[in-house]
Amino acid sequence: MTVMPRLEDLEDKSFDPFLIEKLSTGNCPDPYPRIHELRAQGPVVEGSYRKQFTDVPDVQMGHLPQVMVLGYDAVMKVLTQPEIFRNKEAFEHNLGRSFGNTITVMDAPIHTKYRKIFQKAFLPQVVAQWGETVVDPVVNRLMGEFLDRGEADLIEEFTHHYPFQVIYAQVELDPAQAPVFHKLAIAQILSSIGAPQGPEASAKLGAFFGELLAEKRRNPGTDLISHLATVEADGERLPDDVLISFLRQLMNAGGDTTYRGTSVLLTGLLTHPDQLAAVTADRSLIPQAIDEALRWEGPVSSTFRYAAVDTEIEGVPIKAGTYINTVLASANRDPRKFENPDAFDIFRSRSTRHVAFASGPHLCIGQHLARVEMTRALNAILDKLPNLRIDPDKPAPQIKGHLLRVPDHLWVKFDR
Amino acid sequence: MKKWMCMNCGWIYEQELGDPEGGIEPGTAWEDIPDDWKCPDCGSLKAEFDMVEI
Repeated sequence: MTVMPRLEDLEDKSFDPFLIEKLSTGNCPDPYPRIHELRAQGPVVEGSYRKQFTDVPDVQMGHLPQVMVLGYDAVMKVLTQPEIFRNKEAFEHNLGRSFGNTITVMDAPIHTKYRKIFQKAFLPQVVAQWGETVVDPVVNRLMGEFLDRGEADLIEEFTHHYPFQVIYAQVELDPAQAPVFHKLAIAQILSSIGAPQGPEASAKLGAFFGELLAEKRRNPGTDLISHLATVEADGERLPDDVLISFLRQLMNAGGDTTYRGTSVLLTGLLTHPDQLAAVTADRSLIPQAIDEALRWEGPVSSTFRYAAVDTEIEGVPIKAGTYINTVLASANRDPRKFENPDAFDIFRSRSTRHVAFASGPHLCIGQHLARVEMTRALNAILDKLPNLRIDPDKPAPQIKGHLLRVPDHLWVKFDR
Repeated sequence: MKKWMCMNCGWIYEQELGDPEGGIEPGTAWEDIPDDWKCPDCGSLKAEFDMVEI
């Protein structure tokens, strides 16, 4: 049996990373009018995406030369030319500090080598098995808390917890340690605003995962960590620093984004009751509902790349050394690709792929798990909460944030 | 069921859908896809695909 190492809390127990994170990602109710204005100026616009919406300084990137790349074709050019638009320099100042030597902070050929090993653990046929064994028990346990009540806040009581608890289950984390785990996972990204709790959280999670890996190598099980701790490619194991960095990132990349994606999916359906009714009656519509939610309000609005050489996008020159705000949200709402792009419409043509999971070699490694989780969650909600509807006596849900989007609450009523 | 899957990202080639944006007409057999065609999601080459049981 695994002996779980102990996870140390932050020195300052009163520090609330959830509140600070909300402050740093902003309260912007609708960044899209500004995004459309910027895209209308051209495919490349001087400045940083973040500065369009907040005065909270970016202590790690704020002083660096930046442009925004906007529109579907321009964004695709950045994402699919990794030899020109690199990840290492783009992320070593932020995610590299929070998570360490993660594959997001690598380029080919080292990225190609490690990515393939990690992806193996997250291929569709692998994560499909976790649906029943890992995701369903978590979903059922959380929903059991409010099923008899006839009303709930689906954000506070469900979506904000279930993807994290799926990860805890995969890591076989002691439930008593879960609150500290969640807190440290959010605190580690606060390095970007200079909070000392950022590096403190990264160090404490690193120590925890280091001990856990050693334990899993002594007593391997069938869980994800045991698999990653022992997997070999070309006779080589994953180096500990790469693996620990990946596990640090897993909480945010796998937990936080799925929480946001599921919250937006439920908000989109509940605020469009005709579409909710269609999906309730015909569950084969779930995949397109998920894709539409991800296109409409992707969990991450913009990502970074770094121009390694002098280059151009659609004829606009970009100097080597420029940091590229690659505005995924502008691609997903580009009217040249998506008719009436601001509308949530699960029946729209899917001939153009959205880029909520990005594109190219750094495409989200966990997208198949995210789809399994969102599908299981939505099915359970439609099955167990009959006559589901927005609570008319509570404030309507409002998706907020300029970079990471989510509503704070989604108050619903349903028949008992 | 066996399918061709990109081992870099998990994208699955469906013969009946093809990859029209990548120049592959619906109905194109895997064998008839040129070697320089790339995975529409991650950009890996055809050689990075494996036949897997789904």
